[in-house]
Amino acid sequence: MSPLNEPLTEFERNARVLLEESVSRIDGRTRSRLNQARHAALEAAGTPRRAWWWRSYTLMPTAGVAAAVLVALVLWHREPAVESPVLEGQHAVEDIDLLADSEGLELMDGWDGPFYEWATTNEANVASDS
Amino acid sequence: MSEFATLASPYSMPVALHGDLDLTVPEAQTRSRALNQFLAGVELKAFKIAQASLRHEDDALDAVQDAMLQLARAYANRPQEEWKPLFYRILENRIRDMQRRRTVRGRVMAWLPLRGEDEGEEPDPIAQAPSPDPQPARRLELDQAMTALEQALGGLPRRQRQAFLLRALEGMDVAQTAFAMGCSEGSVKTHYFRALQALRAELGDFYL
Repeated sequence: MSPLNEPLTEFERNARVLLEESVSRIDGRTRSRLNQARHAALEAAGTPRRAWWWRSYTLMPTAGVAAAVLVALVLWHREPAVESPVLEGQHAVEDIDLLADSEGLELMDGWDGPFYEWATTNEANVASDS
Repeated sequence: MSEFATLASPYSMPVALHGDLDLTVPEAQTRSRALNQFLAGVELKAFKIAQASLRHEDDALDAVQDAMLQLARAYANRPQEEWKPLFYRILENRIRDMQRRRTVRGRVMAWLPLRGEDEGEEPDPIAQAPSPDPQPARRLELDQAMTALEQALGGLPRRQRQAFLLRALEGMDVAQTAFAMGCSEGSVKTHYFRALQALRAELGDFYL
């Protein structure tokens, strides 16, 4: 075994020679692209990043649209649950009309409950006999 | 004690400083020059290491470029002796991401009847031209040995290959390699020893 911090064995030395040879054979096109990549990286590091407040300003339109969509969704979902006070008023008016209906009160005056119960039973018996 | 002992833990990356280099400041200019020199010194080996893992030239170039960019952007203000292990740590992470993405892409593309990128391309006449090397026999030997080594490296598990390349090609010590690989020094020794065993078994002791 050749621990990492001890001198290399012959096998390792040979491998290193081969690997370094393969590095030296990297073609010009690849070297050029690596060179460009390095300069681009250094240039990017040298370009000051925008301050946080500037980045937050640039996000404002997106945040505004998102907030508007959220509000619209909330309103749209809540709409069916809320009944209009006008409709409630209409129901109340209808209830009052029914209670104040004079014909209904006249019918209630002549209400003969036991007769109608007898008539319903009798009609059911006639139907079962036939 | 290694110079690299300034880093707290071999398992975790130091916090990115995001300290952009203000090139109007003389000290930053010096640092930028040092970074340029450092990157120029490692870029070819890094490319080889990435290529051995990704087996694709363009992907290897992308991985090295991303690693350069991240080092320059986030760690340029770290001490210079930390740059090399940091750079290789970033590169390794990038390689792993690309391998994962490639696996997913491969699964998706397997369902699509698309033609390969290289199919139908004309051969490059420059690449096909005979070499002007005055010692073609020696050149051929080297070519064969290199091909055999690259194939054997390609057959190694990822961690073993990484440990071997960082040691044999980049010449990093145990602590640096451990940081670059994100594991303990003991693991580095184990991976490296197993890589050596596998390569010897594949290539023989004196293959050059």
